[in-house]
Amino acid sequence: MEVTVKIFRYNPEQDKRGHYETYKVEADENDRVLDVLELIKGHTDGSLAFRRSCAHGVCGSDAMRINGRNHLACKTLIRDVGANITIEPLLGLKVAKDLIVDMDPFFDNYKKMLPYMINDSPLPADGKERLQSPEQRARFDESTKCIMCAACTTSCPSFWASDEYYGPAAIIAAHRFIFDSRDEGASERLQVLSETDGVARCHTAFNCTNACPRDIHITQAIGEVKLAMVTGKLD
Amino acid sequence: MGLNRNVDLLTGLRYKGQGPYLTFILHRIGGSALFIFFTLYILTLAGVEFAHALFSNALVQIVIVVLGIFHAINGLRITILDLFPKLIQHYRVAINIEWAVYILICGFAIFVVLRSAAGG
Ligand code: SF4
Ligand code: FES
Repeated sequence: MEVTVKIFRYNPEQDKRGHYETYKVEADENDRVLDVLELIKGHTDGSLAFRRSCAHGVCGSDAMRINGRNHLACKTLIRDVGANITIEPLLGLKVAKDLIVDMDPFFDNYKKMLPYMINDSPLPADGKERLQSPEQRARFDESTKCIMCAACTTSCPSFWASDEYYGPAAIIAAHRFIFDSRDEGASERLQVLSETDGVARCHTAFNCTNACPRDIHITQAIGEVKLAMVTGKLD
Repeated sequence: MGLNRNVDLLTGLRYKGQGPYLTFILHRIGGSALFIFFTLYILTLAGVEFAHALFSNALVQIVIVVLGIFHAINGLRITILDLFPKLIQHYRVAINIEWAVYILICGFAIFVVLRSAAGG
């Protein structure tokens, strides 16, 4: 089938503002949007810039707006988006070139969540592992699935309004450790998240939940963090 | 480096969020309608003539009722889900229930406004 692809283009060395270019390619309905982008870059216009790495929904590099909504290009089939496709960069982050955005503010917010295990207590008597039950592990299982693609954060109207808001992905990173029974940094993280740029800025638009390629119940996780903040309970 | 990050209103509105995003947008519009309602109400109490005329207009009343009631019911749904995060996974059901309740209450409110406008 012939697919018409309209792509946002911006070259910081030539353009003052972005524009769109349209390409026509032959593709199978079971091809992915990433395949179409590779076709264009390989055969029609080598100057097209976009991020990709694993091509299998694992690395989180190729989140972009496809027909007006955030997706991973490598997980989006042509048959699901149709023969007329518009591809644009993520919203709320500076566009560096074409479909590539500057992810620095996103990762800066991530770092503020102290996304690592905090536990200064001595090791158990056997000097080996800090054990936890399957139930304790299940408590934060959802939030371990995050691949840091930024599809959630850049679909959030609160983040569009201000990138000072930590955003759903950062809160998911915090959730992963706050509810981990082996971690002792929950109060520190809840303190960070109780600031003006924290969870209070989530107005439950659910764009994040609908954009997440890993089907993480993001809004629910944010709700759990909100409740933990108010009640002080982590169960 | 690069193009500005600012997302203008139109671009934001064009984002293809789904039903929940629509309720998010309508919630803001409903909040603005309530702001207008209270402003008109205070001005009417203060004896400002044009505010009184607007306040008595059935069409204005219907617009405020339609948007204001949505804001109230949607706010209630958000509060319930905030208090019980485990229910958030059923947000689509919650939104469907919200629409059903809204249509019932709003329909009744519009009926009352129209009946009083017709002198009933
Ligand atoms: S929570 Fe989902 S959408 Fe957000 S960064 Fe992680 S994987 Fe991507
Ligand atoms: S290229 Fe790695 S997630 Fe799509």
